[in-house]
Parts: sequence; structure tokens; C-alpha cells
Amino acid sequence: MRLTTGTKVAALLATTALLAAGCSSSDAGDSAGSGDAGDSGDTAAAGPVDLTFWTWAPNMEKVVDLWNAENPDIQVTVNKQDGGDPAVTKLLTAIKAGSGAPDIMQAEYQKIPTLVSSDALADIAGNVGDDVASGFPEGVWNGVTLGSDAVYAVPQDSGPMEFYYRADVFEELGLDVPTTWEEFADAARTVNEADSDMYLGTFSATDAGWFTGLSQQAGASWWGIDGDAWSVDIDSEATKKVADYWGGLVEEGVIDNKPMYTPEWNAALNDGTQIGWLSAVWAPGVLEGNAPDTAGTWEMAAMPQWDASAPATGNWGGSATGVTTQSEHPEQAAEFITWLNTDQEAVNALVKEAGIYPAYTPAQAEALAEPPAFFSNQENFYELAGEIADTAGSFTYGPNVNVAFSAYNDAFGKAAESKSQAEFLDAVDTMQSTTLDDLKNSGFNVSE
Amino acid sequence: MTTHAPTSAPRAGSRPAASSGTRRPTSPRPGRKADRGVGERPSAVSTGILLLGAAYCLLPVLWVVVASTKSGGELFSTFTFAPSTHLLDNVGDLNAYRDGLFWRWMLNTAIYAGVGAALSVIVSAMAGYALAKYRFRGKTVVFNLLLAGVLVPGVVLAIPQYLLLAQIGLTNTYWSVLLPSIISPYGIYLARIYAAASVPDEIVEAARTDGASEARTFAAIAVPMMLPGLVTVFLFQFVAIWNNFMLPYIMLGDDKLFPLTVGLSGLLNQGASQPALYTLVITGALLSIIPLVGLFLLLQRFWQVDLAAGGVKA
Amino acid sequence: MTTTTSPPRTGTTRPARRTRRRLAPWAFLSPAIALFVVFLALPILYSVYMSFRTEQVSGLGLGADSRTEVWNGFSNYAQSLADPEFLASVGRVGIYGLLVVPTMLGLALLFALLLDSRRTRARGFSRISIFLPYAVPAVISSLLWGFLYLPGVSPFYYVFDQLGWDVPSLFSSDLVMFAVANIAVWGGTGFNMVVIYTALKAIPSELYEAAELDGCTQKGIALRIKIPIVVPSIIMTSVFSMIATLQVFAEPTTLKPLSNTISSTWTPLMKVYRDAFVRGDLYSAAATSVIIALATFVLSFGFLRLVQSRAFGQEK
Repeated sequence: MRLTTGTKVAALLATTALLAAGCSSSDAGDSAGSGDAGDSGDTAAAGPVDLTFWTWAPNMEKVVDLWNAENPDIQVTVNKQDGGDPAVTKLLTAIKAGSGAPDIMQAEYQKIPTLVSSDALADIAGNVGDDVASGFPEGVWNGVTLGSDAVYAVPQDSGPMEFYYRADVFEELGLDVPTTWEEFADAARTVNEADSDMYLGTFSATDAGWFTGLSQQAGASWWGIDGDAWSVDIDSEATKKVADYWGGLVEEGVIDNKPMYTPEWNAALNDGTQIGWLSAVWAPGVLEGNAPDTAGTWEMAAMPQWDASAPATGNWGGSATGVTTQSEHPEQAAEFITWLNTDQEAVNALVKEAGIYPAYTPAQAEALAEPPAFFSNQENFYELAGEIADTAGSFTYGPNVNVAFSAYNDAFGKAAESKSQAEFLDAVDTMQSTTLDDLKNSGFNVSE
Repeated sequence: MTTHAPTSAPRAGSRPAASSGTRRPTSPRPGRKADRGVGERPSAVSTGILLLGAAYCLLPVLWVVVASTKSGGELFSTFTFAPSTHLLDNVGDLNAYRDGLFWRWMLNTAIYAGVGAALSVIVSAMAGYALAKYRFRGKTVVFNLLLAGVLVPGVVLAIPQYLLLAQIGLTNTYWSVLLPSIISPYGIYLARIYAAASVPDEIVEAARTDGASEARTFAAIAVPMMLPGLVTVFLFQFVAIWNNFMLPYIMLGDDKLFPLTVGLSGLLNQGASQPALYTLVITGALLSIIPLVGLFLLLQRFWQVDLAAGGVKA
Repeated sequence: MTTTTSPPRTGTTRPARRTRRRLAPWAFLSPAIALFVVFLALPILYSVYMSFRTEQVSGLGLGADSRTEVWNGFSNYAQSLADPEFLASVGRVGIYGLLVVPTMLGLALLFALLLDSRRTRARGFSRISIFLPYAVPAVISSLLWGFLYLPGVSPFYYVFDQLGWDVPSLFSSDLVMFAVANIAVWGGTGFNMVVIYTALKAIPSELYEAAELDGCTQKGIALRIKIPIVVPSIIMTSVFSMIATLQVFAEPTTLKPLSNTISSTWTPLMKVYRDAFVRGDLYSAAATSVIIALATFVLSFGFLRLVQSRAFGQEK
């Protein structure tokens, strides 16, 4: 190590000249090493293959240990990352630089088009058996193929949205679980009337994925592929309906306007001033971590509906595992991620250690036999979750989700702060124009 | 400022960092103790204001101390400054996180900041000495260029530095954080001031007359004279590297190489489907401040940053 | 210098020594220059190069080879300068600077004078306490203050509540600037205090004795002797604080997820970060950073002149 480093430092001085001359760094895409601290993973034939795996799922190394024990020839090392965005940021930088990317990468579904567009994820269609696809719900599988013949990742977990509420407080206030959004609004009013500090929920301008899920439930799909061109349809009737609804409740003052995932929100979950949460199937873990003392008081139900006769839900969160274009061992990497996400033993471990809701249907029954510990009072938790998951609508993500999401943060942040219903609708327009302009400026084919 | 004094004579005696770095700043000036009591009543107002300032600065630190004694639930349910009894549990949890990874972050931080600052001192001292003690063509240009480095923020440099180091596969290594941390425009600036103030020209000249080489003059004569100032440069750069977030954040993918700032911020940013690990972060913040406080107390007397050596030309 | 006559012991001739002495400064400077070139100059040049480029996507932009880098002239610059969000962020930083720099340096000067006053007690304790925040990384200090700001968990708001006061949240659009500025003041006062205090310590005590004999009060000494003497230090700290102000990034970025009022382009550097890392547009981010660096340069140009004339005047 020490010797090679000396050489590297010398090489550094040499390469700087190249860089100064404006040397493009887009070459070396496949030839550069897997980039992990100079491991010598040269020849696949000689010795075991070392793979690095960037993931933010907790305890993933315990699941990977199972694999490593049984596969001495393919050893996987977990590099824990910050959740979601930072990992993608780093991966894209490494792709741009031509080296430094891991072999295997956890990616949220909404990031996959961005990653594919930056040539970060390898097409592993040839390495993944046909039987794998059939085990995933069609909507989920579409998220990793982007509607093409390629396969860019194997789905790991999904996040169908559900309604979580404090059953004890509901009982105290004589409230029924709202089944429509109209009932939800009435319930919000009742809750806030009972105690002006108490809310049924909050409109969080910092969680774009949450609003996306709500829009998906209403029937929106923000991007689309139209032949050889992208379309952007954020300002559809469906999204506007959702924005209008929440803007109305925030303006009325019966729904809070503060972001989620702040210490303040945690405190509100603890002291019972936030008594509801429109969240996803992974919510038990978050509630348990943030408000451990409220165990046994929460219950989960289906989302309130726009049309009670056609129940629907959206997705918030969920991720897949892909192989990067810089991996020198895509075959072995694909083998590992297929095992990770479809093998019964692996899926059981993922549920137990990482607390995820597996996307692979055949493995669900065994892995999800018990309700999450925090919801032991709700025996049929996963049964219900499965029924709800089946109602998820389809949603297409585009190659500039980050742009749309950061526009969401800014525009809805302003709207939530002003507590004005009209501004909520303006925010949707801002998101639409920002996202569309960005696609056009980047040179994507865009149909309008 | 009234007279243009020769470089060394009056200054040598008056600048603590220059020649009397051993003098403790808290100790009264000679002759002062004797005056105390004669028209020197302690002023309640001045003491009060100063203590108010101290309280303002200590408040968030006190908060960390109290908060780190709370369990996850208590952190959000009991009164902010009401302490609890879970400090050891929290330290235990932190210790258990990914097999004691936190201590690895501590060690990494010590390496990045310690080794980086030490190397930075050497480089800065040489450059500062050259700029202060030699007259040569291009001196002003070189100094201005080096100093212009402070104009470009680290956020801007992180990506090009990454692309550069990626060319030779040094990203995601200790070197990727260490090497860029060595060059410090502020360090060079300070070293130049210290060299100008603490190394009299006559002594350098005398050494040359005795036939000492330039390198020897620097190492054996100038460096010891600059030493108190160089300790300040070390501390300065130590804190700068310690505080740097962007560079390691971009360069490192393996969390075993992370420094504390990046590691702790990762515990906060777990993504939507995981709860942020507030108790771990707060306990970690407390533990990470302790060694730095120790370092400050230990080297307190070296914290004498003279940014404008021209201040004492009386 | 020219009168040096002692014969060189090692047999080196005089011209050889002179050559060596001419080369010596460059030898001493070489590590700094090499590192500067590699880790500052080249990245800067590369940024400048990128600021004139852009990436063009073709078709759907999916799959390999769908992106090509092309020259883009001054378009990135034009775009940045015409971006209302960027201009707003510049204005914000201007106000922020006017808030932070005088407050921080005013407090630093006040504390330094009090530390230097014989009539103040608890000096050692106060000095280390006020300096302590300097050791807390901005990422952590912002989190700590975040806890103290958020009405739901803040002890201050708890007290306000008990008193029946209705104090608006520090994260409301009117006050968020103060919330961010406070963190910078908290973190920076101690360091600047030490700088000014160092200058105060260097004042020969005979000066005071003379003043005291003349019947000067402590306050009079502070105003008429101490402050004028530390003015150069204050100027220097002002300039360095100004530069740091223009580069404010970590504090608002850490506070951002806690509020609705800090947008992703709240400060110029946050815009750079968003463009580069969130939007993946390194090119316009590079252009914006060049603009920021140039603006900083223009603002601190006077300072460089100042450094030359004040700090290093005695070397001439």
C-alpha cells in the first residue's frame, strides 16, 4: 500500500498537466477499477471477487454476512452511506470522474432514471433470470426497466402509503378512521378544535417524496415517455387537486405547516400533538425510533380515498439494488443482488435486520408472518399492508427528479409558510415550469 | 505608529508571540499585581458582561451535556435542561453502532487534523519564512496568489479536486483528504507575520556570516524563534481541517474512513424511512468536543493570533 | 550585507553562495507552490474551463453515449447573472454580512477589552468559554442551535409560553436571518476576540502607566489608547470575516430541513451546491462560483493592498 501510494502521488503530479489541458474525464468508464482503495480485483479467474456495496439500509452487513459465508468466491463489503440523496450525489461524481464508484448501489426508484441517464447503472438483463421479473408487481418492475428491455436494478423494497393514527386519541375524541379525504378534513377539524395545539397531520414542504406519493394516489404521473420524447405532467388536475386540498387545510389552520423529521416533529409525536401520519409501510420503524414511549397506541389503516369505490394508494420510498457501470464483475454483482432481493433466507434477514417491506411477492408470506414489534397490537398489519399495496397506481419518474424535488422544497416551503391556498396552486405551476425548462435546457427531447 | 522603528528592537520585547511566547496571557503584566486594590476595585459591570458572554457561548454546550444524558424518548418529551441518567447507555449505544465505528471516526479525525495540520505547519513555515526574510523578484505576486486561495470556497473546489484525484485512483483514501488539507493560505499568511516579527534580520545575517547554509539557518535558528507562532498555525489549521465537511464528504465512500463531521451528519441523514439517530449524534458531538477542549486548554497560551503585526509600532 | 568578508569555510565561492541565496526562497516556497498549484490553482482553472462548457443530452438521455460536452460561451454566466434567485441570494448575504460582521467584531472587541481590564474577574474562565464555540464544527453547532430554536423543543419558547408571550418562530421568514446570523456570531466571536486580545497584550504597559499618571480612567484608556492601537487587527478580522460571510454555507444548509423559509438557493454558495450536486449541472455551478470568487476578490482587493502597506511595511 505504501509503495503504491508513493507512485500514485508521483502520478498525481503528472496527471495534473493533463487536467490543466482540459483533459476530458469521461473516458475510462469501464476500465477504471472498482475504485475501492486500490484493491486488486484484476482477474476474475484468480482468487475471490471483491465487491463493494453502497447502501444506507441499517444492519445490511448482517445480511451480507450470510452471503459471504456461503460464497467464498464472491465477497461483498458494505459501505454504509447517508440515506438516499448523498449516496447518489457521490455516485454521480464518481461516474463523472471515471473511477471511485462501488460495484453495487442501493438506489431509490425515483433516482433510477437519473442514474441511467448519467450512465451510472449497468444493464443486467442478461444476468437476471426471467423468472425473477415475474415475482415483482408490474409497477415495481417497470421502475427498474423504465419500460425498456433493459434491467437496471433488482427491486428490494417498496413503500405503499398508509394512514397511521393514534387509536387511543381517536377513541377519546369519538372519531372514526377517515376513509375519504373529506372525512379526513373533518377529522382534522375535530382534532384541532379539541386542542388548538393538536393536529391530525402536517403538510411537510421538505418531503417531496411524500407529496409525490399523495399525487400518485390521486392519479398523477409526473413524467411520461412519449415515443422518443419525455413529457412533464406535474400540473395535472390530479396534482392540483391534492395541492388545493392541503392548501385549504393549511390556510384554515387545521393542518400544521411544519416540516416532518425535525426535532420539533419528533417532540409532537411524543407529546401527542401530532396524532396522525400519512406515511408508508416502513413507518413503524420511524415511529419506534422517534417516539418509543407511544408503543401500542398507534394503528394503521388504508389511505383516505378520493373515490371510495376505487381505492388507491401511492408510494413513498422504496429502493432497488443495481450494478454500476464501473464494476468489473457485473455478472457476480448481479448474482448477489438477485440473491439479496429474492432468496427467502435473504429476504427474511432483510425484514428482520433492516426492517424493510420486501418487494418480492413470493418471499413476502414467510418473511412478513409477524407484525412489526411496534405494532404488535395490530395482528393483521402485513395482511392489510399487502391489500393496500395492491392498489398502488403506476407512476413514471423522469431523468430530473432532483430538479422537481428541489423545486418542490422551495415553492411549497414558501406556500406553507404563507399558509395560502392560492400559493399552493402556484407552487405546482412553479414545479412544472422549473422541471420542464430544465429538461429542455439540458437538451432532452421533450414533447409538450 | 509615530516613528518607523527598526524591525526587531522594540517589537521583540513587546510581541508575545514573537519572543516571549512562554508568557501566559492570563498572567498580569509586570507591575500590575501591585496596583490591585488602589483604584482597582473589581467592576461588577465588566465582570457581569463578560460572564454573560461566557454564558451565551456555553449555553449550547451545556445543552449538549444535558441532552446526552437523555434517552431517545426523553430527548423530545422532558424539559430541555432537565438532565437524566442515560449518558452511559447512550455511550454504550454509540459504541455498539456498527462495531464501534464512532471511535474509528475519532481516530480518523485525529489523523486528518493532526497529520494534516503538522504537514501544513512545515509547508507554511517554509513559505512564510521565505516571504518574510528574502527579497526576490516575484515575491509580491507569489504572496498575493497564495493568499488569493482564501477567496475560493471549499464547496467550489471539492468537485475539481475529486476529478483530479480520481485520475490516479486516490479518491476514497486517507490521502484524498490529507493532501488537499496541507495547503493553507491563512497558515502561510500567519507564518509570514510570525517570521517577520520573531526572526531578526541581524541573526539570520550572522548565521550566514558563520557559513551556515540557508536550510540550516532556517531549521536551526528561524524555526525555534518562530515556534510559538507555528503552534498557533498548527492549532488554526487543526481546527480548519476538523471543521471541513465538504472535502471528506465528497472524497470518501467508505464510512471507515470518515471523519467525525461526515460520520455524525450521516447519522442524522438516514433518509425518510429511518429515524434520525439524534441521541447518538448528540452523544457523539459531546464526545468529539471533549478532546478539542482538552487541546485548547493545554495549548491555551499559544492562542495568540496576530493578524496585523503592524499594530505595535508605537 | 556586502561587507561580509569572512571566507566561506566549505570553499564555496561568493557568487555560488549568492546564487544559492537567490534560489533559497524559491526552494522554501516550492512545497507550498506545488501544493497550491495542484490543489487550488488547477481545480480553479478547471472550474473556469467548465464554466464555459455545458452538457448536451440527446433523445431520451437514457443509456450510454447520450451525453456530450460542448462549448457554451458565456451562457452559463449570463444565466447566473440573470437568475432572480441568485440575485436574491446575493442580497440576502449582503444583509447577513451587515448583521454578522459588526455584531461579531463588536462583541469580540468588547470581550477583549474586558479581558484586558484589570477590574474584570473570572477572566480565565470567560476567555476559554467564549473561545470554545470555535472548536464546534458548523454542522454540529447548527444542529445544537436548531434544537434551541424550534419552538416545540426550545427552552426559550418554553419560558415564553409560561410567561404567556406569543413569540413568533425564529424560522419564520422575518427572523430566519437572525437565526442563521446568531450561529455565525456564536462560532466566530471567540476567535476574533483572541486576535484583538493578542494585539492588546502587545501594548507596552508603560503606555498605560503614563496615561494613568495623566489621570486617565480605565474607560478613557480603552477608548483613547487601546482601541486605536488594535484598529489594524480589527480591520484584518473584518476582511477575513467578510470573506467567510460571502462563503456562508454550512449553517443554513444544516438548518434547511428544519424550516420552510430557507430555500435551496438561500445563499450564493447554496445555489452552487444545488446546481452541482442536486441538479447535476457542474457547468453552471462552476460559472456561479467564478462569479462569487471574482466578487470576493473585488471586495477584498482593498484588503490586499492594506495587507501590503500595513502588515509588511516594515520589511521594506
